[in-house]
Amino acid sequence: MKHSMTVPSSRPRAVRLGAAALAALVVLLIPATPAWAHNSLRSASPTPDAILPSAPTEVMLEFMQRLDPAFTTIVLTDSAKRRISTGDPVVAGVKSTVQVTGTLPNGTYRVGYRVVAADGDPVQGSYPFTVADPSASAAPSGDGATGQDASSSTTAAVEPGGGPGVGLLVGGGTLAALSVVAAGLLWRRTARRRP
Amino acid sequence: MPSTTRFGSRHRSAALVATAALLAAGVAGCGSSDASTAAASSPSVSASASTTAGVVGIRDPWVKAADKGMTAAFGTLVNDADTDVTITGASTEASPMELHEMTMKDGKMVMQAKPGGIVIKAKSTHVLEPGGDHLMLMDVKRPVQAGDELSFTLTFADGRTQTFSAVAKPFTGAQESYAPGHGANPTPGMSMSPAS
Amino acid sequence: MSQVPAPRPVSRRGLLTGGALAAGGALAGVAGVTVIGDQQAEDRADSLTGAVPVAAVGTTVEPFHGPRQAGVATDPQAHASFVALALRPDVDRAAAGRMLRLLTDDAARLTQGQPALADTEAELGLLPARLTVTFGFGPGLYRAAGVDDRRPASVADLPSFRIDRLQPAWCGGDLLLQICADDPITVAHAQRVLIKDSRPFATVRWVQQGFRRSPGVEPDGRTQRNLFGQLDGTANPLPGTPMDAAVWVPDGPAWLRDSTTLVVRRISMNLETWDLLGRPDRELASGRRLDTGAPLTGTAEHDEPDFAATDADGLTVIPDFSHLTRAHVTDDRQRILRRPYNYDGAPTAEGHADSGLIFTSYQADIARQFLPIQRRLAERDLLNEWTTPIGSAVFAIPPGCPSDGWIGEQVLG
Repeated sequence: MKHSMTVPSSRPRAVRLGAAALAALVVLLIPATPAWAHNSLRSASPTPDAILPSAPTEVMLEFMQRLDPAFTTIVLTDSAKRRISTGDPVVAGVKSTVQVTGTLPNGTYRVGYRVVAADGDPVQGSYPFTVADPSASAAPSGDGATGQDASSSTTAAVEPGGGPGVGLLVGGGTLAALSVVAAGLLWRRTARRRP
Repeated sequence: MPSTTRFGSRHRSAALVATAALLAAGVAGCGSSDASTAAASSPSVSASASTTAGVVGIRDPWVKAADKGMTAAFGTLVNDADTDVTITGASTEASPMELHEMTMKDGKMVMQAKPGGIVIKAKSTHVLEPGGDHLMLMDVKRPVQAGDELSFTLTFADGRTQTFSAVAKPFTGAQESYAPGHGANPTPGMSMSPAS
Repeated sequence: MSQVPAPRPVSRRGLLTGGALAAGGALAGVAGVTVIGDQQAEDRADSLTGAVPVAAVGTTVEPFHGPRQAGVATDPQAHASFVALALRPDVDRAAAGRMLRLLTDDAARLTQGQPALADTEAELGLLPARLTVTFGFGPGLYRAAGVDDRRPASVADLPSFRIDRLQPAWCGGDLLLQICADDPITVAHAQRVLIKDSRPFATVRWVQQGFRRSPGVEPDGRTQRNLFGQLDGTANPLPGTPMDAAVWVPDGPAWLRDSTTLVVRRISMNLETWDLLGRPDRELASGRRLDTGAPLTGTAEHDEPDFAATDADGLTVIPDFSHLTRAHVTDDRQRILRRPYNYDGAPTAEGHADSGLIFTSYQADIARQFLPIQRRLAERDLLNEWTTPIGSAVFAIPPGCPSDGWIGEQVLG
């Protein structure tokens, strides 16, 4: 019922040690935001850190567990931390979706979420994505180009870590893969640590 | 020996004065005069306080509630005077009364009429309590219910009388079997001397 | 403790140390039960004091008589017993009056450090330790006495809430005896005396016993912690005008003026699932920090929460589902006075706790104050995930009484 187990007990000790070592490595490499903030986020659209050719019309988040509709919050903010207006979250099982009703000029945005799984555990976190519509001006203000719905149907495995610096720091694909493994082993332990 | 005519707590002194005045006037019920209660009597907190305005002070009087048969009244008698005082009789509307004592007789505690009455020594107190001297109600005519207030009149050897009121308490302590066969588990070894 | 009104030390210390007032008299004053004479009493008093001064905790007295009952605005004592009685079927207005006169007399004596009348354990009545006995009238008492027109309108069964899992054994009651003191033996003795005197009139429906920090354990005036470790009661109205506005009925007929109402709810707290939560999540659920009790937007317990403040994720710092958010009111007239006590029953064989909170809420009007808050909490308070209401009862707390009166005389008289 609960995520009280850090690692399945049947797992060999060596694997656990290895996971711990990897975790330590990843933690060292990602000093900024807490590393495991959205590990219970299974997938998202737009995908974290995505660079989109057109503004999304909705944000869809998929979690590991069923969500309690009463406690689901999804907010969208621009780089100046201004709220972008959205509809109310629609929760269906493990997924929650909000329609983006505001306009998104080119720029970087952040999806913030705070949800509660059916067993009561709150999870919150955020990730950025960027809108870079080549047909729009570089520094728009006012009407942004809300182009075609390029990303609404694409979901992808969420990347580990989550701060904007992660992608830069985790340069090598190998290291990224290792950190995926470590995250997969340890997400249960740390999923709810983020203040 | 400290004086026993005072109360241990100063806060009750006002109530005492009021009660004393009422008792001196022979008023049975006292206090809560602004509340027209449904009950015929109107016991109050201060009803159990004592007085030194009468022949003796009567502190914390109470009577054991009983549906029928025998029961008893208790309290602490306070004699402030320089001479002994003797109670020779007690009466109440609720029942014929006797002055009783508990005493050892042939290895048994027995209850019997107290010969010569109850003497309260000069500058002294005398406690009426279950297992000791008490004012015996021999046969209550109607139930003495918990919370009822009964009026009693004491008669002294010199002919003076004094009235006081006592609240009825539900009491199972000491297991005196004032009404044999009525209470639960009469204490072994305790028996009544022939009544009257 | 910061009592308002200030309790005073019982005079017993003076008595025991040979003052003009007689300790022997006080003891012998227990009619019919005290078998010791005055000299013995004095000796006993001396042995009680001995070389060590009687601790102020034991001898401190809370006033009993007054326009309002004690035990509501009184700085909460460490121990409490809530005794709910069910009136016997034959109890009418007169009988209820007799009962309340008896119980008032018991309370008036015991709270002042005097044994009750006919007290069979007189020595247990000598250390009041700020004992208060507060009387509450359930709807059934008004019905039995035929005075339903004097029942405060909001004193009625609560609506059922989605989160309720009420057990009848913890619900209802015609007469509540709320017994509080800083010492558990004092509470136990008062409970024994009061129940004995109630037996001709009532049966015991339920008893809930609880505790808070003991006096002296931490500085006065601290908000207590519940068994989740949370500071509990931070948002209480302050003594004085705010508390008066929230708690006491300011006007109306004599049976209503200076009365209040009480909601008692037994809240089971699931320590097993609470254990699974990390500290940050616990703080998200409550909206406050565990250590200081400060709102997540503040640094000190009594900082005003900023519900609009957002964090780097664009989320409100204080979640909208937090207990703080859902329970928050700003108008004193809508506040409730909480005076909670923890309970901690015996764990199961598997070591699972039976812990929780005896939630008590005092307010002038249940419908105006308690119910809106409770509805918001029932609807959307994340703490509901770990708490379950299993008992519920409502009572009017009638006005107090003068020294020649009795509790309930304005209602039943």
